[in-house]
Amino acid sequence: MAVPGSLRRQPANRGLVSHCTHHHIVVFLLTFFSYSLLHASRKTFSNVKVSISSQWTPSPLNSTASELRPYELWNSSHLFPNAEEATLFLGTLDTIFLFSYAVGLFVSGIVGDRLNLRWVLSFGMCSSALVVFSFGTLTEWLHFYNKWFYCCLWVVNGLLQSTGWPCVVAVMGNWFGKAGRGFVFGLWSACASVGNILGAFLASCVLKYGYEYAFLVTASVQFAGGVIVFFGLLTSPKEVGLPELGADEDEVSVEEDANRPLMGSDDVDDDDRNYSIQATDTDNQPKAIGFFQACCLPGVVLYSLAYACLKLVNYSFFFWLPFYLSNNFGWKEAEADQLSIWYDVGGIIGGTVQGLISDVLQKRAPVLAVSLLFAVGSLFGYSRSPNSKPINAVIMAITGFFIGGPSNMISSAISADLGRQDLVRGSSEALATVTGIVDGTGSIGAAVGQYLVSLIQENLGWMWVFYFFILMTSSTILFISPLIVREVRLLLHERRLRMLAE
Amino acid sequence: LDLSNCSLHSVPLGLAEATTAIVLDLTENPLTALPNDSFLGFIHLQSLVLPLMLECPGGRDAWQNVTVDSSSRLCQGQRNPCNSSVELAWLCPENSVCAPDGPGLIQCLCDKPFHGYKCLREDTFPMLLFGGILGTATVSLSLLLWGTQRKKAKTP
Repeated sequence: MAVPGSLRRQPANRGLVSHCTHHHIVVFLLTFFSYSLLHASRKTFSNVKVSISSQWTPSPLNSTASELRPYELWNSSHLFPNAEEATLFLGTLDTIFLFSYAVGLFVSGIVGDRLNLRWVLSFGMCSSALVVFSFGTLTEWLHFYNKWFYCCLWVVNGLLQSTGWPCVVAVMGNWFGKAGRGFVFGLWSACASVGNILGAFLASCVLKYGYEYAFLVTASVQFAGGVIVFFGLLTSPKEVGLPELGADEDEVSVEEDANRPLMGSDDVDDDDRNYSIQATDTDNQPKAIGFFQACCLPGVVLYSLAYACLKLVNYSFFFWLPFYLSNNFGWKEAEADQLSIWYDVGGIIGGTVQGLISDVLQKRAPVLAVSLLFAVGSLFGYSRSPNSKPINAVIMAITGFFIGGPSNMISSAISADLGRQDLVRGSSEALATVTGIVDGTGSIGAAVGQYLVSLIQENLGWMWVFYFFILMTSSTILFISPLIVREVRLLLHERRLRMLAE
Repeated sequence: LDLSNCSLHSVPLGLAEATTAIVLDLTENPLTALPNDSFLGFIHLQSLVLPLMLECPGGRDAWQNVTVDSSSRLCQGQRNPCNSSVELAWLCPENSVCAPDGPGLIQCLCDKPFHGYKCLREDTFPMLLFGGILGTATVSLSLLLWGTQRKKAKTP
């Protein structure tokens, strides 16, 4: 067969040239857009916060003059007495969502491999779409506003959405082996930011008809996406008879690590053919690493804690930015939504560029550290940004570049680096579990952060929220400092070796 | 609507439903005071006859003609409070306009394309167009992808 032969012939090459069947492209696009749609529905909620809190509260009585008439038009909704209480509840909903999302991630990481990925992904997308539809559109059409109903629906939504990430990572892992991971995953991890942009764009277009239509649009598109995924996704090359990409790639990475720094040597090919037989044997009995063993792997705990802090900042921007813009500067909600897109644009560019740089350097932690230091500066600058849309958009994009970049990189660098460790090589169960742990911890951090943001904002104001973000970003740097020290030492050591060799 | 000499001590409860009245007679009733919103909704009221003790609702500015004779007070020609008193008109929030709601009373109704609670919603959502486009796209993409991808799939 031609395909496995071409893979063996170019092991040191990033393997991109061989990855060009139309199946690969379709899988890339389908997983990319399915995760984008999941993220878009989350973004919709944060973009319509102002409209929802108007819907839930009566009109403010700022004058001693008579109440507004007619009563049904201005004051009949008493779910919350004023906008501040509604805001606190919205923050609570975000926290509830993130907690149930974190729990779901931990669970999905463990059971994800036992079920058919395609069924799980399309079920997750379609049912989450139905829940979002009930949350936003059905309650408005039936005029049924109930706090407990909202909370329950959002918990269920968190659990259903958590099936998305492990499934798409697993499918991508089946189709794109570890050799081509750097660039492909860097580009692919932009799906979350693209989802944010898509959600913001859809919401701002439809918001004038009423917030329930924003939910209707994103829920229907997500449901359609689930149907398309069901009919079109191939979860692994095995399904169409193409060879599994796991075996050859493992042996390639053994050779790569042994010959650091990476050089394209031809003698790898001969060894490869000998090793491939042994590889298939070990592959038939993958070592399933348990939850606690995965936690004890080096780097997992540090990266999890660092990711918790960073995801807190990233998600706080993601959830609260439109609200901050309309609250602080008084801009209309639809404009604030469109402006918040710039943060995600910065995040996409940051993730791709920093991924490329770290691929060239072969080191991830120093790139992260530098970017996070700049992020502290840009957060400070953003907190002082003037009431002008172009300047605000520029600073927002810069902040997104420096914060979203490391965040995207950590969530794709995890699968790359932690999955390549000696202890877990060849075990795909560990990969899903480790991804689940790191992302789950990150989500817990983000969940705690949401509640804190609404609390700080209510009591101390927006400036203190930004100081809190700066503190969290600094903690991220602190947590990955052991890794930075180790990688910088390695970098200097290699440079010394190279200078001695010359 | 003639309610004269009905021995009313206070405004009767059913009065609020008689909002289409054009002429209302309340003379010869031992009424002491009229609450402010007794005439809520009486936008067609053109002639109101009250016992002498009571003032015209909304004050003199709400009526074109106030005639006082020995036993009663006649308030004639209800003025549109939105045009006359400027300080009431600016109370209406965004997307709504002032409309009369009775003598000296205003209500805020939604401006032309706006509707819904607090006049937040504008126009109607093109549901058929959206559903049509989405349905067609979904069906065609699903068929295309099933044909090119999954048809050759062997179920494990």
